[in-house]
Amino acid sequence: MRITIFDYGAGNLHSLAKAVAGADRDVRLETDPRTALATDVLVLPGVGAFGAAADRLAAGRDAMRAAILDGLPTLGICLGMQLLLDASDEGPGAGLGVLGGRVTRLRSQRTPQIGWNTLDAPREPLIAQSGLHTAYYANSFVCRPSDPESVTAWSTHEDDRFAAAVRLRACVGVQFHPEKSSTPGRRFLDSFLRAASRGALPPLDLP
Amino acid sequence: MTLTRRVIVCLDVQDGRVVKGVNFADLRDVGDPVALAERYEAEGADELTFLDISATHEGRGTLLRIAQRTAERLFIPLTIGGGVRVVDDIAAALRAGADKVSVNSAAVRDPAILTRGAERFGAQCIVASIDAKWDGTQYRVYTAGGRHATSLEAVAWAQECVARGAGEILLTSIDADGRRGGYDLALTRAVARAVSVPVIASGGAGTAAHVVEAITEGQADAALVAGILHDGLTTVVALKQAMHASGLPVRRLAA
Repeated sequence: MRITIFDYGAGNLHSLAKAVAGADRDVRLETDPRTALATDVLVLPGVGAFGAAADRLAAGRDAMRAAILDGLPTLGICLGMQLLLDASDEGPGAGLGVLGGRVTRLRSQRTPQIGWNTLDAPREPLIAQSGLHTAYYANSFVCRPSDPESVTAWSTHEDDRFAAAVRLRACVGVQFHPEKSSTPGRRFLDSFLRAASRGALPPLDLP
Repeated sequence: MTLTRRVIVCLDVQDGRVVKGVNFADLRDVGDPVALAERYEAEGADELTFLDISATHEGRGTLLRIAQRTAERLFIPLTIGGGVRVVDDIAAALRAGADKVSVNSAAVRDPAILTRGAERFGAQCIVASIDAKWDGTQYRVYTAGGRHATSLEAVAWAQECVARGAGEILLTSIDADGRRGGYDLALTRAVARAVSVPVIASGGAGTAAHVVEAITEGQADAALVAGILHDGLTTVVALKQAMHASGLPVRRLAA
């Protein structure tokens, strides 16, 4: 199985690459958003800023959007999840617009949110079955999808309840960092990749 | 449901080895940072910090290689601090696998390093490390591992670090450090109240109760712990249990 991590050029993809590695998995980093689509699984990683990443994405934005809507198994982590939406208050540029909505700043006294936060009411079986109850976050911005039905788990920082995870077709976005969420986080990554290699994600649990 | 309070384990690394004794009965090579990092993750540490106390350029290179080996096997956040002088040092540490980089003396010399680092890599990976000591009238900021007094006052300096781009404050009390008599709660509280970013209390942990106090009375988001864990006086599990028993939200290991 080919796993391609789209590299926005913003830094450390080392531990993410290690976290998704495994037998029969060919993990590569790709800086060209069009070439990145020649893959079985696409990973949009969680390091960098929205404006710079949107800029790197621009040349392949339409192709990537079409591939994801066509069912390419895709995992967006933190900033990678935010890129699934239309736009962000963090910086200029267009997101993929796979999910309608905007990325806005956390409404809280203390930001960035740095640390482990609980995942509420996950409808995402990939999360629930991984024993991932508490996940590591490092973010100041969060997704506000216009369709709350796309949200599959929530977290709350101070009084702000925000989307912890989203799903559309075979695309999963998570605001937390599974690659930094210890053993349950790695189980989540592994569950996603195994489901992707079977060609179908498990159906969402009922709310 | 809320953000949990963190226990951060700090390892002092010199020329590639963890210095100060580390007392794990079942670890044969207790000086290996990679083995220790994995051990502390398994115990439930929420984050790990490598503080580079190498004096030499070679020692620094060794630390980055260690960080790379650690990052391949560690799946909790790793912060690297010590010896960061310029933005390229931040870049090198992140490239080696650090999730966050702490900057101390270099920020006092040139606070713009915080801004440039935050613009390039995001505020969430720039930690301003502040060493402070009570001088009879105020908490004075020291650099160079506590050797040089500056003209800066700790609370005002913390606010400036945040204004310049730091996403977190690592606050060490020089007075309390190593004494095991508890964190400097007045210092911690003063800084935690004055800034909008998370504050990590550091220096002085002797018991689990001290860690609890740092977060309740000191209003810190996280507590940095080193010696009492390495010496085997307590465990991360015991610290988490004490925090939980005090009503603090903590991440507990799944059964």
